Amino acid sequence: MAGITRIATYVPRRRLDRTVIGQTWGTRVAPGRRAVAGLDEDALTMAVDATLACLDGADPAHFDALYFASTSAPYLEKQVASVVATATDLPRATAVADFGGSVRAGVTALRAAIDAVRAGSVRSALVVAADARLAEPESELEPLLGDGAAAIAVGTDGVIAELVSAASVAEEFTYFWRTDTQRAVQVAEPRFGASYGYARDVAEAVGAALRKAELPPARVARLALGAPDERSAADAAKRAGCDPGRQLVPSLAAEVGMLGSPEPLALLGRALETAAPGDFLVVAGYGEGADALVFRATDALPAARPRALDLARALPVASYGRFLKARGFVPAETAGEVVTSVVEWKELAQDVRLHGSRCEACGLVQYPQTRICIGCRARDRLVDHKLGKRGTVFTFTIDNLAPVAEHPLPMAVIDLEGGGRLYLQVADAADGEVKIGTAVELTFRRLHEAGGNRNYFWKARPA
Amino acid sequence: MKDQVAVIGVGCTKFGDRFERSYEELITDAAFDAYADAGIDSSEIEAAYLGTYLPGAGGGKAAVSLGDALRLYDRPITRVENYCATGTDAFRNGCLAVAAGVADVVLVLGAEKLKDRGGRGIPRLGHPLLARGNTAPGLFALAANRYMHTFGLGRETLAKVAVKNHHNGALNDKAHLRMEVTAEQVLKAPIIAWPFGLFDCCPTTDGAAAAIICRADPARRYKKDPVFVKGVGLAVTTGRPYFDPTFDYLGFRSTQAAARQAYAMAGVGPRDIDFAEVHDCFTWTEISNTEDLGFCAKGEGGRLVEEGRTALDGDIPVNPSGGLKSFGHPIGASGVRMIYECVTQLRGEAGARQVKQAELGLAHNVGGPGAVSCVVVLGRG
Repeated sequence: MAGITRIATYVPRRRLDRTVIGQTWGTRVAPGRRAVAGLDEDALTMAVDATLACLDGADPAHFDALYFASTSAPYLEKQVASVVATATDLPRATAVADFGGSVRAGVTALRAAIDAVRAGSVRSALVVAADARLAEPESELEPLLGDGAAAIAVGTDGVIAELVSAASVAEEFTYFWRTDTQRAVQVAEPRFGASYGYARDVAEAVGAALRKAELPPARVARLALGAPDERSAADAAKRAGCDPGRQLVPSLAAEVGMLGSPEPLALLGRALETAAPGDFLVVAGYGEGADALVFRATDALPAARPRALDLARALPVASYGRFLKARGFVPAETAGEVVTSVVEWKELAQDVRLHGSRCEACGLVQYPQTRICIGCRARDRLVDHKLGKRGTVFTFTIDNLAPVAEHPLPMAVIDLEGGGRLYLQVADAADGEVKIGTAVELTFRRLHEAGGNRNYFWKARPA
Repeated sequence: MKDQVAVIGVGCTKFGDRFERSYEELITDAAFDAYADAGIDSSEIEAAYLGTYLPGAGGGKAAVSLGDALRLYDRPITRVENYCATGTDAFRNGCLAVAAGVADVVLVLGAEKLKDRGGRGIPRLGHPLLARGNTAPGLFALAANRYMHTFGLGRETLAKVAVKNHHNGALNDKAHLRMEVTAEQVLKAPIIAWPFGLFDCCPTTDGAAAAIICRADPARRYKKDPVFVKGVGLAVTTGRPYFDPTFDYLGFRSTQAAARQAYAMAGVGPRDIDFAEVHDCFTWTEISNTEDLGFCAKGEGGRLVEEGRTALDGDIPVNPSGGLKSFGHPIGASGVRMIYECVTQLRGEAGARQVKQAELGLAHNVGGPGAVSCVVVLGRG
């Protein structure tokens, strides 16, 4: 039996009240807030965050595939899945692939992962979808889109939702696009697209998947439908013969916005927060057609229920200018050097996998990796040691001078659970939140840009 | 090495925004000031040590920046760079050369022209990922916050260091910031890196300072009242203190070790020191330094300044020159400038800022923070 074993969603802490956009442009906007990836976040970093949340301390060595899905990957050439796999400390012998093209990529990657497990070509896989899609300033999409990521572990042991059936529709339809020279997502006539490029295709794929499962629409407990806007999922549900009010997982539009490729996975996660064993759950993604998957919750679900998505903890983006800055429309710091490929390769375990050392002579856990113990001076007795990702602030400063795009910059010396001490930038902290004793967790972020490339590294954030 | 090396001449430029002077011109001003003080000319210089963190544009990271400025050719010149202890370490190396007998008359010169470089003058160095986001105030602030948390110190105590050093610097016509400040001004200044506000930080400064040293026995041929080098000490600890899980962040081991070396060589203890020029890059640093140098116990440095004991008329005046805080901090020049101040005080030539009974003075630099410290003890007769 192959299916979902774990699921987690990551939503950036920063939220922009849509009225800020409305006031800036003098336009009417839907109420609510949208999630905003910080300047140091992108689809890659949010994918790492979601994957770490999905693993939740599970041994990454258990996984032998990782699929990344996004339409807003920070690289057009350079694979993201392998970066996510390395940062989450998966083994080298991991099958990796990037999925993209349209926002249905998240569901497509999930289907591919389950197919690979069912075929026996991989044992267990991680699927992570992440998007931080840029909209043109003053466009209709600007208040609508939101940023986030969702990760799903797939395997045959400890399955909480097994795959029952799957169906797809493929047909060219120009609705959302971004050419290789465009930064922001473009959209064709939205009402026509929502009807013909979205609801029609999703209903068709869902209908086909339900027929394969020999399941009448009324038997579906929850529909997790990714959507282009807040209203159209209900239209798709109705066309598939379902009752949106009873069966549709409510949209995240009012709290986080339309997430793109992670959205159906995040909605499926919400459904699994409350589903009962035996419930049928449908997940679907759209874009030049649609993919629909039917799952049945298993008896293992209640004991391994995903954590409820916590949207309460949010940091307001104070102004439209701050929003533009977070989305990279204001030039960022480009001074200094990017890490060279030689140094990156030499220090991969240390810098990306975040391994330190443990001294076999005195037991001291330390960072970075060196030859001689800083505690007892023993030579070559330091062995590779994976550091924990939670800790406590030992000391700190709030810096207004550092050459970074956003001030003030909290910097903290952190004692990690399990040993080791790090010195990191602190992201997503409210005023006064960083002080001695503050509990923090680590997050992989875009640290710095220079020489036409980017440095990614770990930061802390209040836990 | 005690009493084997004498200082026979010192020189110092006006510190400040020296936009009108080039790096080489600052060197020239300081060197000729010292030549005149010693009553020698450059032909008598047998070897030279240049303390500089960032050599002048086009000078390269070598000793040629000093050689070309002074047309001092065909003899050994060594460039010393050791974070903020650069100046005192250059002096220490000069002393070692004289004590070793390889050169009788040596020029030690510290110079920096930070204002040529835009911004704060110091480019970011180091690993592109690890510790990124650090700044000099931010790194010292890590220690200050832990210290203040542990010993219950407030920003009001830090402010007293700024008030004292600005008062001293206002009396010094070569100081960069020659104005008094009130505690209220210090506390209300914009925050640079918590807990440091603008007036808790030393300025970015241009300047150069020089010392001429020679073997002790012929010293009185040049100067009737030479100052003698009693002891030197240098200690290096980790340059990555923030990764050291054993570090308590309450002071700097390198200063404690360098002080031990210098006191042992001089055969004195901290209570014998009459005044000190210590590395007050930030107000908290002076408080911690006074403890690490042994002027009081750990955790008592705040009280030392609160009680006025480090003031000009206190029992252990600290930074009578105005310190880095007011005199300014051209990195490589600072340590040599401290030697200049110690010698001036020991000669009784410090005018309005003269401390009483100046028999034994101490100069101290710390860089890193805490990665490297250098201590020099100087005395009369």
